[in-house]
Formats: sequence, C-alpha cells, structure tokens
Amino acid sequence: MNAARDPLQVVLPDPLDGLRVALQPAPGRAGSVAITYLASAGTGRDPPGREGTALLALTSAVAAAGPWGRSELARRLDRLGATTTSHVAPESSEITIWGPADAWRTLLEILATVVLEPRFDPEDIVKVRRQIEERQLRQLTHPDRRAERELLRAMFPRGHPYRETGAGTPASLARLERADIQRFHRGHYIGDGSLVVLTSGVAPGTALSAIRRAFRHLDRGARLSPVALPPPRSGGPEVRVPIHGLTDVEVRVGGPSVPRSDPSYPALALAQEILGGRPTLNRLFRRVRERLGLAYRASSELECMAWGGYWTIEAGSAPKNWRRTRDALVAEVRRLDERLPSRREVDLIRESAIGEIPLSLETTLGAHELAIDLAYHRLPGDFWRTWPSVLRQVRPNDIREAAQRGLALARSHTVIVGSI
Amino acid sequence: MKLPTFFRPHLEGFHLPNGLEVWLAPERSSPTASVWVWYRVGSKNEHPGITGASHWVEHMLFAGSPRYRKGEMDRAIVSIGGNLNAFTSHDVTAYYSTVPRDHLAVPLDIESDRLTRALITDEETDRERSVVLSEREGDENWPEFRVEEELYALAYRHHPYRWDPLGYRPDIERMSGQQLREYYRRYYGPRNAVLVVAGGFDPRSVRRDVVRRFGPLPGTGADPRVRIVEPAARGERRTALAGPGTTPLIEIGYRAPSVYGPRTPATVMLGAILGGEAWPFEAGSGWGRAKEHPSSRLYRSLVDTGLAVRAVSEFRPRVHPSLLTVTAQAAPGIRLDRLETALEGAIDRMRREDPSAREMQDARVRIARGAVLAYEGASRTGFRVGLFASIESPGFEPAMYERLLAVRPREVREAARTTFDPASRVVVTYEPVSGRSS
Repeated sequence: MNAARDPLQVVLPDPLDGLRVALQPAPGRAGSVAITYLASAGTGRDPPGREGTALLALTSAVAAAGPWGRSELARRLDRLGATTTSHVAPESSEITIWGPADAWRTLLEILATVVLEPRFDPEDIVKVRRQIEERQLRQLTHPDRRAERELLRAMFPRGHPYRETGAGTPASLARLERADIQRFHRGHYIGDGSLVVLTSGVAPGTALSAIRRAFRHLDRGARLSPVALPPPRSGGPEVRVPIHGLTDVEVRVGGPSVPRSDPSYPALALAQEILGGRPTLNRLFRRVRERLGLAYRASSELECMAWGGYWTIEAGSAPKNWRRTRDALVAEVRRLDERLPSRREVDLIRESAIGEIPLSLETTLGAHELAIDLAYHRLPGDFWRTWPSVLRQVRPNDIREAAQRGLALARSHTVIVGSI
Repeated sequence: MKLPTFFRPHLEGFHLPNGLEVWLAPERSSPTASVWVWYRVGSKNEHPGITGASHWVEHMLFAGSPRYRKGEMDRAIVSIGGNLNAFTSHDVTAYYSTVPRDHLAVPLDIESDRLTRALITDEETDRERSVVLSEREGDENWPEFRVEEELYALAYRHHPYRWDPLGYRPDIERMSGQQLREYYRRYYGPRNAVLVVAGGFDPRSVRRDVVRRFGPLPGTGADPRVRIVEPAARGERRTALAGPGTTPLIEIGYRAPSVYGPRTPATVMLGAILGGEAWPFEAGSGWGRAKEHPSSRLYRSLVDTGLAVRAVSEFRPRVHPSLLTVTAQAAPGIRLDRLETALEGAIDRMRREDPSAREMQDARVRIARGAVLAYEGASRTGFRVGLFASIESPGFEPAMYERLLAVRPREVREAARTTFDPASRVVVTYEPVSGRSS
C-alpha cells in the first residue's frame, strides 16, 4: 500500500520555514477535504486586561479577508459547498474549512487569505463584539457555562493561561480596539507555533507545494515569547452559585493535571476513560445514571495540553438530588485513587479505546481530528498505529498511580450552579 | 455552473415474510459497518397522558432483552470500539450502532433480540423515570427549548406535534411500566420497522445472517398512521415567556407542508434563501439546531445590521404538516419590538418579490454540494437510507433532490405567500429576567 494512502500514516514533511505541515489521507471514498490552520494564538496569550483579544481576532478574521467582504466571503464558500469553523482554546486558535474534494486548491487559497489578509473591518469587529457580549451573559446565566467559568477560576490563579474562557469581561472587551486586534494577529499568526493540516486524497508532493505557495507570505522570522505558568491552586472551598428559575443543578468537580507530554499520559488517559470518558462503560455513567438514576448526564473530561492540563467531572441533576449527585461523583474519583481497577475492567476499556480508531477514520472530519491532535503535540506520523501497543503495556497499577497524580481529589475544586 | 450529480450508494432491498423491510448498502472499502433500525413511531403516535412514551421506550430498549441484561448491549458494542445510540423524533425512533467491520454480527444480534422482546420491567421503568426527567430538566435550562416547546403548543391544538418528544413532565411522573409495555408491543415489530446495514461487508453473507436472525420474529407491529388533522388557524397566536437568559429571543412559526406536499420543495427553497439552511433532513427532534448562514437574508438584515447576535430559519419537513420557523436573538440593548419588525420586514420581502436568479443559483449549489457529501461513511449512509425508507423509500431522496433543483423563483414567492399567512402566525417571545443572586 502506498504510505500516503494509509489512513494511519500521517505524512509530516520538514517545516516550511517554521510552518509545520501534516498531510492526512482522507478515508476511502470520501468526497470531501478538510484543511486547518492552527496558530499559537489562544486565549492564554490574551494581553493582561485585554481578555477576549484572541477570540475577537479569530472571529473577525473569518468574517472578511482579502478581496472579500463579509457577504462575498460567505457567498464564495456557499457556492463551493464549503463551511468554515473557527475554534479558540487556551493555547491555540484554529480555522478549518471543510468542503468538496475537487475544490481543495481553491479552499486552501481561501484559508490562506483568511489567515494572512484578514480585513478586520470596523463593522465586523462591532458585530463580533456584540456576539461575544452575549456569550459573556450566557456564561453568567446558563448553569453549564457558568460552572465552567467558575471552575476554571477556582483552579487557576490570575495570570494563568487556562484561567479564562476567552470571552473576557465587559470591561476588557470594551477596551479592545482594532489596533489591538491587528497587533495580536501580526504577533501570533506567524510561522512559529503554526500548523497546517490537510486531510485529502491529494498526493503529498502536490499538496505540500500548494501549501507552500498559499502560505508563502506568512511571517516566518518572528518568535513567540514563552507563556508564564503560575502554579494552579491546590483545593479550595466549594463554590455555590444560586441561579433561580432553572430546572436543574450543574455539579462540577475538577483539578489540575499533567501536560500531554507527561510519561504517565497513556495510563492517565485510560484512568479518565474508566472514570467517565468511555461512553456507557465508564463508572460515572454506570453508577450515577444507570444505578442511582440521579442524572441524565454524568461524565468526565481530561484536557492534557502542551503547557499543562486539568480534569473535570460533571453532571446535571434535579435540585433535590444535587448533594447526592456530588457525593456520588466524588466517591468515584476517590475509588479510582484508592483501589486498583480490575484487570477485566482495564481490558474492556482499553480494547474499546483501541477499537474506536477505525470509527474515527469513517469520515474526512474524523480522520482530520486525529491528524490535528498528532501534529499539534508533535507526535510521530504513525502515532495512531502504535497507540494500541502503548495502551496494551499499561497495567492496573500504572492507572492508579496516574490517577493519584493526574486526577487528584486532594487538589480538586467543586462548583455547584443552579436552583440551590 | 454545472451542478454535481447526486451520489447514491449501491442498495439492495428486500422484505422478510414477517414484514421487516431491509436495505443493505455495502461499501467494500469501508473499515466500519453501521446497523440502523428505524421504527415508524414517534411522539405523533402518543396522546395526552402518555406523552413522551416513544422517547421513554427508546431508553428502555437499552435496559435489557433475553440475551442481553442491562448494560450488556452497551458493553458488547463499546468493548469492540463501536458506538451505539438512539434518538426519537416526532415521526420516528431510530437505533444505531457503528462497529469495526469484522464485528457486524454483534449489533445484528442485539437488534434482533430487542426488536420484539425488550424487557421493560416496572423496576427499571421507575429507575429510568428520574433519568428521563433529568434529560428534560437539562433542556429546560435553555431558553431556546422553552420557546420552541411553547411555539408548537401554541400552533397545534389537536395534532400530537403539539408536544415535544420528551413529553410533558406530569406524564413522565405518572406513566407506568405497563403503559410503556403496551406502547412497545403495539408499535415495535417487523411490520413497522426498517433495518439498514451499511459499510464494509459481503452483502450475500449479511443477507443470510439477517434472514437467520430476524426471519423467525413474529410479524407484529401495528399500523402507525395518525389520522388527526389540525384545523386551519384563524388568527395570530402569541405568548410571552420570561426566565433566566441573556438577551431577548423571538421565534415566529408558520404552518408549512408535510414532506409529501406538492409545494414542499419550494418551501425548502424559501427557507434556504431566507435563513440559509439548504438541506433539511436531520436526525432527532432538534430544537436550537438551525445553523447561521452569513450569506442569508436573515443574517444580513438582522445580524449584519446590529439588531441580533443570531438569526436563523428552520423548515424540517415531517410526515404531517409542520412549521417553518424564524428565530432571532437580540444583540445586547436591542428591544424585542425592533427585532420583530426587522424579521417581519425580511419575511414581507419574500412575500412581495421573486428571489433573484443569483439567490436561486446559490441555493441550488448549496443543495447539490450538500447532497454530494451526504453519504460519507457507513454511519451517515445508514442514517440517510433509513430515514428516507421510513418516510417512503430510499428513492424518495434523489426524487426530492431533483424537485428542489427544478424550483423556479415564482414558486418560491408563491410558497412565501401561502406560508407567511398572518392568520397562521405563531409568536413566542422570551425576555430574560435576572436570576442571579450571587
């Protein structure tokens, strides 16, 4: 089989003057292509007092670029049958275009134009600012969003890149001017820390030369300054936010964890899957939903990023049940900390995680997500091929030790939001 | 511009003697296989007192069957890396599993076991009651859900589209295991189901396997047709809601044709030009799911002008006549009356003028491109084949596609005139109130 067509072999050419590239083969009969540009321009790089900069810059950039005003750009994508999504995270900002495979060159050129020549028209900035203001309000009034905001603030001190959701505050947003957005863009949408991922059926050589040409004007010389990482807070009092008129209560527990590069990551990933990650097999689902009937939703997440990480568990519960729900969630974290998982449970969860890989390769976007993850964390091109053998080396004791470190209850925080 | 050709997978269809309709969609290069079972039962088959029964039965089909105790179905699928789930809409209930292709026998075994023999015990019903309530409570925290639920309650006085598939809270609190068992026995059977298998497999051996597993099932499953017809509306209906939220929200609904109606394609085009949605067939019941399209008329006249942070329209044709809705969320500081006036302006323009040739062509291209990408992967193939087979037949989709592309500008304006009838207008507004105490 041609290596370029093997869906578990991502081609990682030498960087193009700093810009890293990953070329992921699209699934067998896929009629689509996905292209992502990722910059080290996340909310963690928002200037102090100007929180919201990264989000405003990204969302305004995708509104209008180069020769296309907002209507023209939207219409051009529509006519190609393509959609654009943008996502800002603490460490990065991403723009993805997904569309028909036969239009890949045009889509790549549009993406490069959006990245390199955003117009930042004042009226677009005003429009995006309004949308972010609404998002800020949602973070105050919706239990799910409010709990996320409060938990991040409980876990991370001021100045930590993971502390904010990225929407900023009314004051910080009001301070932002067009020049701030342009400055942020110039300083962060550069070769250093950037990545282009293309999932397609295009031959790697052809794809690489097209990417090189499309991004030839990207500033390759500038360097990003390192980000300060003050230590996360270790435990604290339960945060309760009453919001009247709601029908359920959001219960959330979380704490700091390790970066993705930590050697314990494979064991920790399995620990999280056992706790609340693996659909329907995880302990939170089985205990809190299936056995106790306390909540429709009960799950965990593990965010292991380049600079650090954190874990969360969450459930939405009836107002009368929130204490029992909280206690049941916490008990499951404690059980993972204190007792070895059985060999049978570990095998079940592990084989499930391994068996899932082909499902991710069903669609272009599924395969694309795997490639972005691999490339962002600078993993080898055959990472997803070797990942099963890495997981199979993990022992129950490794899982408990990883949980004690990366899912530590002693360092956790609890947030309760809703009709309490 | 030449429009792309609609892609259809290779299909083999047959009926078993017990009435089960089967469609196989083999794609040899696929690393996965997806099994879908569609039942032509949804909240349209309920009545007051048992609203939410379809959705609750859907939950109970994971609670055990003769060969799989509670939790074992999930375990059997997820342990091999597969995923499984289900959804209930107003018209249908669907169960699906996608697995690595070598494990196709596992979901086939599960579906054949629970098609007529699910174990719905009183004990499990009671346990699941709080889970179903919790699901509803989670949705109720979203103003968009509250508004949409109220909109349909206002638009329909007789037809079961009046309630959400989650059902009314008092019905969920009171319904018994016996009622769920009766509902299951009535509507779940081969005569009322469609089985779809899509992905990487040999169709001859899978056909044999399907016959072996599903053939012995009894030919049960009642006629699920609903004969209630909603009388014509005689004037605008309006409700104002208030609760925790961000900025004012408004949703306006108008009576729209069923999926079988002669003016359905023109109404879909109307929605595509007004709000941007160009392919209306999706899974589930779907409140708050309509996507924004910056090139649409609503977006340009409300979001670009600073009146709204979001403006969408939605028309998802159902088995019975449903609603075309437009929704807008005010920008901070904008009052509802200004928002409503702007929405009315956009709607009125659709009534008065033919859409431009450019708008028509853009909508056609979006529809055509969407149709090209629609069958990517075994899961999506299983979804689309099953959805259209349960509506009529898999051939319904390409036929609808051809009709959509043939719609003329004048037909869109006529659809707008018929649809945007002030006498059938339903309006629900939502004003945020401060619910914060700390």
